[in-house]
Parts: sequence; C-alpha cells; structure tokens
Amino acid sequence: MSEALVASQAPGTDSSVPGASGARQFWRRLRAQRAALVAAGVVALLVLIALAAPLLTAIEGQDPTTYHPSLVDSARGGVPVGPLGGIGGDHWLGVEPQTGRDLFARLVYGARVSLGVALAATLVQVLIGIVVGVAAGLGNRWVDQLLSRATDVIVAMPLMIMSLALLAIVPSSFPRPVLVALIIGLVAWGSIAKIVRAHTLTLKELDYVAAARLSGWGAWRVARRELLPALAAPVITYAALLVPTNITVEAALSFLGVGVKPPTPSWGQMLTAADIWYQAAPQYLLLPAGALFVTVLALTVLGDGVRTALDPRAASRLRIGTGRRREAKA
Amino acid sequence: MRHPSVIARRVAAASVSLVVAAGAAACGPKDNDASSAGADSKPQKGGTLTVLNANPQEDFDPARLYTSGGGNVPSLVFRTLTTRNRENGAAGAQVVPDLATDTGRPSKNATVWTYTLKKGLKYEDGTPITSADIKYGIERSFAAELSGGAPYLRDWLIGGADYQGPYKDKKGLDSIETPDDLTIVFHLNKPEGEFPYLATQTQFTPVPKAKDTGTKYEEHPVSSGPYKVVKNENDGERLVLERNTHWSASTDAERKAYPDKIDVRSGLDSSVINQRLSASQGADAAAVTTDTNLGPAELAKVSGDKALAARVGTGHFGYTNYLAFNPKVKPFDNPKVRQAISYAVDRTSVINAAGGSSLAEPATTYLPDQKSFGYTPYDHFPAGKSGNPAKAKELLKEAGYKNGLSITLTHSNSKDFETSPEIATALQDALKKAGITVKLQGLEDNDYSDKIHSAKTEPGLFLAHWGADWPSGGPFLAPIFDGRQIVKDGANFNTGFLDDKSVNAEIDAINKLTDLDQAAQRWGALDKKIGEQALTVPLFHPVYKRLYGKDVKNIVISDWTGVLDISQVAVK
Amino acid sequence: MSALKGLSGSLAGFPGFALRRLVGAVVTLFAISVIIYLVFYVAPGDVAQITCGPRCSPAQVHQVAEQLRLDDPLYVRYWHFLQGVFVGQDYSTGTSVQHCGAPCLGVSYQSGQQVTQLIWAKLPVTFSLVLGAMVLWLILGVGTGVLSAWRRGRFTERALTAVTLAGTATPVFVIGLVLMIVVCGQLQLLPFPQYVPFTEDPEQWAWNLLLPWLSLALIESAKYARLTRSSMLETLAEDHVRTFRAYGVGERSIIGRHALRGAVAPVIALSANDFGSAIGGAVLSETLFGLPGLGRELVHAVTVVDLPVVVGMVLVTGFFVVLANAVADVLFAVADRRVVLS
Repeated sequence: MSEALVASQAPGTDSSVPGASGARQFWRRLRAQRAALVAAGVVALLVLIALAAPLLTAIEGQDPTTYHPSLVDSARGGVPVGPLGGIGGDHWLGVEPQTGRDLFARLVYGARVSLGVALAATLVQVLIGIVVGVAAGLGNRWVDQLLSRATDVIVAMPLMIMSLALLAIVPSSFPRPVLVALIIGLVAWGSIAKIVRAHTLTLKELDYVAAARLSGWGAWRVARRELLPALAAPVITYAALLVPTNITVEAALSFLGVGVKPPTPSWGQMLTAADIWYQAAPQYLLLPAGALFVTVLALTVLGDGVRTALDPRAASRLRIGTGRRREAKA
Repeated sequence: MRHPSVIARRVAAASVSLVVAAGAAACGPKDNDASSAGADSKPQKGGTLTVLNANPQEDFDPARLYTSGGGNVPSLVFRTLTTRNRENGAAGAQVVPDLATDTGRPSKNATVWTYTLKKGLKYEDGTPITSADIKYGIERSFAAELSGGAPYLRDWLIGGADYQGPYKDKKGLDSIETPDDLTIVFHLNKPEGEFPYLATQTQFTPVPKAKDTGTKYEEHPVSSGPYKVVKNENDGERLVLERNTHWSASTDAERKAYPDKIDVRSGLDSSVINQRLSASQGADAAAVTTDTNLGPAELAKVSGDKALAARVGTGHFGYTNYLAFNPKVKPFDNPKVRQAISYAVDRTSVINAAGGSSLAEPATTYLPDQKSFGYTPYDHFPAGKSGNPAKAKELLKEAGYKNGLSITLTHSNSKDFETSPEIATALQDALKKAGITVKLQGLEDNDYSDKIHSAKTEPGLFLAHWGADWPSGGPFLAPIFDGRQIVKDGANFNTGFLDDKSVNAEIDAINKLTDLDQAAQRWGALDKKIGEQALTVPLFHPVYKRLYGKDVKNIVISDWTGVLDISQVAVK
Repeated sequence: MSALKGLSGSLAGFPGFALRRLVGAVVTLFAISVIIYLVFYVAPGDVAQITCGPRCSPAQVHQVAEQLRLDDPLYVRYWHFLQGVFVGQDYSTGTSVQHCGAPCLGVSYQSGQQVTQLIWAKLPVTFSLVLGAMVLWLILGVGTGVLSAWRRGRFTERALTAVTLAGTATPVFVIGLVLMIVVCGQLQLLPFPQYVPFTEDPEQWAWNLLLPWLSLALIESAKYARLTRSSMLETLAEDHVRTFRAYGVGERSIIGRHALRGAVAPVIALSANDFGSAIGGAVLSETLFGLPGLGRELVHAVTVVDLPVVVGMVLVTGFFVVLANAVADVLFAVADRRVVLS
C-alpha cells in the first residue's frame, strides 16, 4: 500500500483523542446506529451458529462427513436425488452432489472453519501490524528504515505465490486450519503495519505523547499507555475490513488446491467445489455464496459502526448503509 | 510427462496421468455415437478443426514427449516406425506399421529387431526421410537437455543405460544400425517381444540432424506427418497446423487428415472448455478437446439434454486407480490386514466420488478390463458393491486387532478425482464401518510424488494410479511388480517391493514371446497370481466422456487411447 | 511519509523523493529475490526429477541436475543469478550456445526459454486485463459512490451498496464462471474470452476481454464506492460547502463540482495501488478465463518448482507494486496540494 493511500485511509489522526472517553461513551454511540446493531446481531448469530455446530447438526440428526450414496444419482454424475437438491426433513438444506453428505451440517461446520481462519488470520495481521508499525514509528531512523523496507517486501510479494510455496513446505501433520490462518496472517500484514506506522508518527508529535516522552517514559510505556488506546479506532476499523477479505483469501487458496483439507468443510472449499454445479444443482453454490455474502455485509456495516462510535469525527468516511439522519448527527 | 498445472482442476482426469498427459486425447465410441455422428454425410476434406485444451503442448519435441501410441496432436506432425491402429474399440488396441513396411522382424529370441522404411517418405521441406534420421531422433532423446520420454529405450538398448546423447557423445549408439537408407536394426540387451509397441512412441520420429536446434527444436519440429507447424506461441499454448504438402496419403494408411487446418488453443479452464463445446457456437462448432473429460456436474447437465448427449464420445483407456500398500510399514506387513482393507472398501462410494457410474467402473483386477491387456477376471477378496465390513473385522481379529485399527491414508491434494481428497474421504468413511480409523494425510502434488516414489519415504497406504504406455500387460505389470525394477535411490514404482523369483521369471518368459495374443493371456494369468498377495486394492477404471462440437464427424475412439482420434475427425 | 504535513506541499521535493524511492525499490527487490531462493530451496519437489520426467533413472536425473546446476550450493546458484542480472549469462541448447543478455533473469528449467522473453510474452495479457478492469471498476465504483452520496439514505443507495458488496463477497471464480455460463453460453451476448493481442485486432481484444474486466470490476468496485462516498460526504460536511448551500447553490452542482473533487485524490491513490497488486494477483481470473498472463504462468511455475521463472516473475510483479505505490504518492501529491512528498 502506498503512503498516500495510508494517509487517505487514516483520517482524523491529528484530532484523535486517546480513549479516555471510555467504554460507556463507545457503547452509547454504537447503540445509536440501528444498522450497526443489526449487523452486530447477525455477526453474533453467525459466531453462535459456528460454535453450536455440533449441537445444531445433532438436532438435525446428521453430521458433515457421512456419505449417503443412495441420495445421489450415480449415473448422472452424482446429482442429488429429489427436488431442490434433496431438501427435506432429514436434510434441511439438501445433500452434496457426488457424496450425499448433508449440506446443512457442512455449512454450519464450514462456518467454524471460515470464520475461525479469517478471525485468527486477522488477529495475526493486527498483532504483527501493530508491533511493526509502532516500533517503526517510535524507533530511530535505522529501525524505521529496516522495518519499513521489510513491510515493502511483504506488500510487494504476491500473496498467492507465497501462500502456495509456504503451504507446501510445512509438514502435513501440522493442523491445516491453523496453518492457513497463520500463513494468511504472516504474508498479509503489510498494509496494517503501514497504517499503524503513519498514525504513530502523527501521534508522536502530539503534545501529550511528546510530553510523556520528554518526561522520561520508556518507549514501551509510551506505546502501551498513550499510543495503543489512540490506535484502537483505525486498527479496529481496518481489521473489520480484513476479516471478509481473509474469508475470500481462504476460498481462493481452496481454489488453487491448498486451502483447508477435506473432509473438513469450509465455505471457500464448498464454493470451489460448487461453482461447476451451478446449472445442475444451484443450491449447492447458492448456500455458501449466500452465507459468505451475509457475513461480509454484516462485518462491513459493523466495522463502520464501530468506527463511528470510536471516532465520531471521521464518521462520514468509509461508511455505508447508514441514513441521512444519522449522518447529520455525526 | 510434465505435470499439468495444479489448477487444471475440478474435472475428473482433465489431465490424464503419468502416461498420457502429453499427448492423448478424447472421446468415445462405446455409445456408438461414432456411427450416428457421421451417418448423414460422408466426411469431406476441408475446414478448420479447433482444439480446445487445458494443457498447453509445452513439450513438442519428439524426444521429450511421453505419449501412449504417439499422442494425439503430436501424431499429426510426427510419424513413427509403427503406430496404433486408428479403429474404434478393441481393434484400435493393435499396433500397425507407419513409416515401416511392417511392425518389425524379430530374430535371436526377439533381441534383434529389423525395420524397413516405406519408399518415397518425405519431410515437410521435401527432403527424403532416412533410417539415419530415426536413429538420430532416438539418440537425441538420451540427451539430458531433452529428457522426459519413457524409460524403455534406456533399459532395452545395448549401451542405453550409459549413453548421454549425441550432443556429448558424437559417436552415437552402436546398438542401432542403419545398413542403408531404408533399413534400421535395433540390438536389445534382452528379449522384448513387445518392441513393436515401443516403436509407436514419438522418440521413433525421424529428426534431420541438420535441422536439430536442441532445446529450441520444439518451436518448430520438422514434420513427417500430414500437418506442419505454422504457428507455435507461448510455449505451445497456441498451435496452428496446416497441411504438409509433401505428405502422401498413399504411404499412410492410418491418418485421414480431413481438415485443412488445425487450430489448437490451450491454457483454458476445463469447465470453460466444456461450456464452449456444449454451446458449440462459431468456430467451436468444429471443435474437439484432446485432454478434457466431462466432469460429474457437467455430466448431470448433459444427461438431461438429448441433443448434447448425442455429442458425447465415450472411451476406455487402460488405466487403474488403486490403493497401494507398503508392506515394509506396519501393520501392512501383515497380509491379513491388507486383505481386511480389500474387503472393507466401498467401491460404490469411491466411484461416486470419482464422478459416478458413468465416469468410473469398479475394478477388482489390477489390469484394465480389456482383451489386449489379457484381462483375466478375478476378485480374490470380494467386497461386493459397498464393502464387506463383517469379513474385514473377522480378518482383523485374526490379525490381532480385535479392537479395531488406526491407520494413515496418504493422498494428493490435487483435484484430479483420482488420488485426490474426495476419493480418500470416501474410503475413510467406508473403512470406519470395519472398525478401521483412517487418518488422512494430504500432500501437495510434488511432495506426494516425491514421497510415494522414494523407497525411503514411501507411506504405508496411499492412493495411486497407473496407465498404459501401450495396451499390454507388460508396461502395466513389470514396472510395478518386477523385483529387479526396485530403485533404491531414485524414482521407484515397485511400491509393494515385490521381489518374487517366480514372478520375475514369468515376466522374462513372457517378454520372449512375439505372439502378442499369447503374451496377453500370460500377463492376465500373472496378474491374477500377483493379486493373491493383496499388495494393491484395485478401485476403479475411469471412463472418458468428452463433448465435441456439432459439426464434428467421423469420431473414432480406440481402446488404446480411450479418446477421440484427432487424425480421423472431419469438420465438413 | 505521513503525507499530511502542512499546507505548503507541492512537487518541490520530487528529485530527492524519486531517488529515495529508487534505492528503496532496489533494496526491496533484492530482498524478495533472496527470500524466494530460500523458500524454494526448502520447498518439496525434486526439480531435477520433475524436469527429467517421472520415469527417469537416477543417472539421468543426475545429468539433468548437473546441466541445470542444481547441485551447486545455494549461494553459488544465487550468485549465478545475480551475474545473469548484471552481465548476462550463456546457456546451451544442446546444439549451440545462446547468450542471454543483461538483465537476464535466467532460463526456465522446464521450457528452456529465457525468463525475460517469457515475461515479455505474458505482460501484455496481464496489463490488458488489469487496465481494462481498472477503467471499469473506476466507472462502476466512483459512479456508485457518487450516486449513493447524492441519494444517501434512500433505496437507491442501499441497493447499490448491496450490489457492490455482493461483488466483494464473491470470489472471482464464482462470479466469472456464472457470468460466462449465462452471458456467453446461454445468452450468447459475448464470446467466451480468448486473448487476442491489441496489436492484432483492437476490437476483438476489447470484445473478448469485456467479461473478465466486468468480473474483476464487480469485485473491486465496492471499495471505490465506499471511498468515493465517504470522501464526498466529508467534503459535504465542510464549512465552505455549507456556505454554498446557504447561498442556494444547487445540490447537483455541489456534488459534481465540489464534493467529487475531494474524492479524486484518494481514489487515484487507491487505483494506482490496486493496479500494482492486481498485476501480481490476477492468478484466479487468468486461470478461469484462460488468459495466458503472468499470474497463471507464475502459479504453474511454482507447481513445477521452476525457480528462474518464479523469481523473475515475482521480481517483475513486485517491481510494479513498488512503482505503482510511488506513482500513487506523486499523483496524490499533485491532486491534493496539502501533501508533501517525503
């Protein structure tokens, strides 16, 4: 990401107030936004579904890995028997072509993997991004140069290629979802590091931070006490956008054959397998695609809402789906 | 063969295998569409045939190609001493003369093979083809720069193992003699009755020494066949072939060469190829594919559409997908465990995972179920349609695993529906019923082939497949079960490490036979005998279904390649 | 770096900026090449065996390894690579010795072609794909952004937002395939994409690439819509715009002449940036649409461990990312006078 873009995406830094105003104010502002609340509800529901996957499939009486050869028409390539891809009381969302595995079970178990991988990858990206960005911003010229060049290298490396190569190197005994999350995290932290660094440089000049530095606080203490609270708004906003991106990256890795491994289901893997079934068994494609869409929409709206609540002055930026009335308020 | 791109994904066997990847092609005849397609009008000369492929013709050097029967597109440009018979079904599994007047004259116990070239053979520039050019073509396939072909020449020719090709060793190979311009004699280090089959491979293509440009030769190989290369872009991604006016149909009984021009466009996604062939608009109406099968999803759609279904060719290539054991790894050293697993497999769910009963047929024999291989039916450990878990449990108990067993199954992460995760999970699900807990170990393609072909790292149980270099039991059984072919420090294919004196002796005995029918019978019997050891669990033989455009006529699909023969196709 | 520094910005610091960026780029590319060498050194896949073919004997594999210099220690191989870049290298085709002039990125293990030639062949394809898609996503994205800023809070805005977000949420291989089946297969409005060089037939070039452009644009445009809209809303909230409104300047004029201007700089910056990363990241669309571009070739090279091709292509795509970022900064500075290049 270019410096210019970082600057354009990091508005309001110069006026950011450290998080002294407190959590109560944040919640008040967040509650004021209906769209964000709905989105938060949807995200919570998705997480709940993912966590409760074993329970939900137990209620349905299915599991994501058992084959049901009798439910597919072998002579016709394994298309599900019955209308709407075999939807019924036994299989709420029908069955998977070729295998006859239960689609509802695969979808909810897939939520675990897709959300888990994306969240974990985001966490890794944010952690590395903050450490590198703050260190570069606070460090001396050489530290800054070194870390900034390292960031450039990460940004300039094609994500897919590095993922392909790294996934091939790590022994296959390593748990795959963790590995995928780690790799996405490790090769795509460049832009968040740049954003954090830019913010840190600006913050460092602000009076209260400068005062703390002058009064002999160590870099670590300055970072922890003064910088991190002020970095929360831009980082959380950006992170909310990274989660959906990471979900699609996992899908893309599956497309290239190096994603999460079967029989573990993931939405990305389902999409990859399903796209050619678009004509013969449309629901097979529409289910994971719909799930992914709802997730991305909810996370995006929520991210904007969180941003507004954290940093009201920048409310008008990077936000969608909120109405004019609230616009005026902000 | 070069591995086709990892992303030639999703469509079953889009990129066929070890053995055919470089050249084989297409569709099928057993549905008898062959006759219906060309019924209305006789095939005519003229027009442009479009070929839509997933894998570019990256190797277009006859030395580097690994083909069965000379390949499909390559066979339009390269003629060889012998070639495959261009007929439907079993008749197409025979070897027939091409540049030579016959399929070869053996002597001294089939260790010396003599061929005579037809008269009047010419290259695309009008210069005559000589036996010395064939010798040179074979010699250059030994050069490290041009590696890639099958191992038989190296293994069979006297001095072949140490020869480094004509670039390093100007003197050449003494074991190939050319007493005159029309005669060529091969001296082998052991009897090989199947030499005529080997002579179909592109290494037996004449290469004029003066025109050899080493690794650049593939940009414009000199044609001896009915078409010459007029365009070769992006490393074989786009090829345009036009008529070679110096080729004469009177010297070539096999290639029909109806179209005036062949336009090969590759690097396409397999699902796009099938979409284009089914839409069949514009130039695609006269299009075929030589490397992309219909996948299950497409089959589901095609089977509901009569007009489309009439444009599907079906073929059977000699090919087996199986589970392989490494008896050096516990618990697979115990024959009872191997037998238990043989009983427990559910071939129905494996076949569904591979694309369903239209795209795969259950296999209980290692050899493909075709006469030319000497197919001899057997089912030593009958698992029925969906497995016999009770019998498997019983055997496990006898083997001392009465509380079940935990094992690891290694597979590749490719999307070929052969050694891929879909098949592995189907097996995992089936073995569970017999009390066997299967842990899956999926490896990236390179890692997978490194591991399973190295004597040091070979896993205990893994998915594997084998395809025919030619339609006979020899190249199917010998590399896998001949004890002398175990390689300790390189690519090893005898994955069961079978080194059985009686098996080795029988292989030698069959190799002496020059009556190929008789040899086939013996191969079949040998397969049945080896099968008793349960070193593999045959799973299925693939069925190739391929679409072709609505203007395409004269579909011929032999059992040799299982795919539509591009040299027979007409578009007018 | 942090670009918003006072009001005096201009291109005054350009020469120094360019020099610093150049040095930075060289260091970055050097580091990338080292990393790729290291990563591929430990990656599985016996290069000699893959190049030689699966049925090669150990002796043959050894010959191939020798010919490709695979038995040399890693640092020697890397040194050889650097030599190629700065002074060129000679290689044998078997029958003759060819020279690959500096900057030579080596010779492909698999095809024996010079990597620089391979790149020159693939680059126009990727460029065509990304440039065209960029034009479309700018039109779609900025258009949507303007409309939704103008009609904010109303149905139009929400509908547009949902459509662009649906694009973001759907991987290109799904959008692309479904579009192809419907538009090319069923409706037959467009041909199945097939790359025709611009120099050969510009009309066919565009006609064939329209669908890939559209698929990529659908995926990228949401970002631009959001950025445009938020930049415009921010401008609209500023004092001088309120003053215009108070003076009775029409909404259309305010949107078109004032608010949109505020969105220009960030949109340009984002486009330059995306252009860079799309050059290296067009793998999926090139694969799906069968376009013989850099991304697809790169993935193929990774799978066959064709190190010279991988290094060469990653360096070239990396170069474009670095270049695009620098261009973005310059454009940003030109468009937004408050910015100082540093």
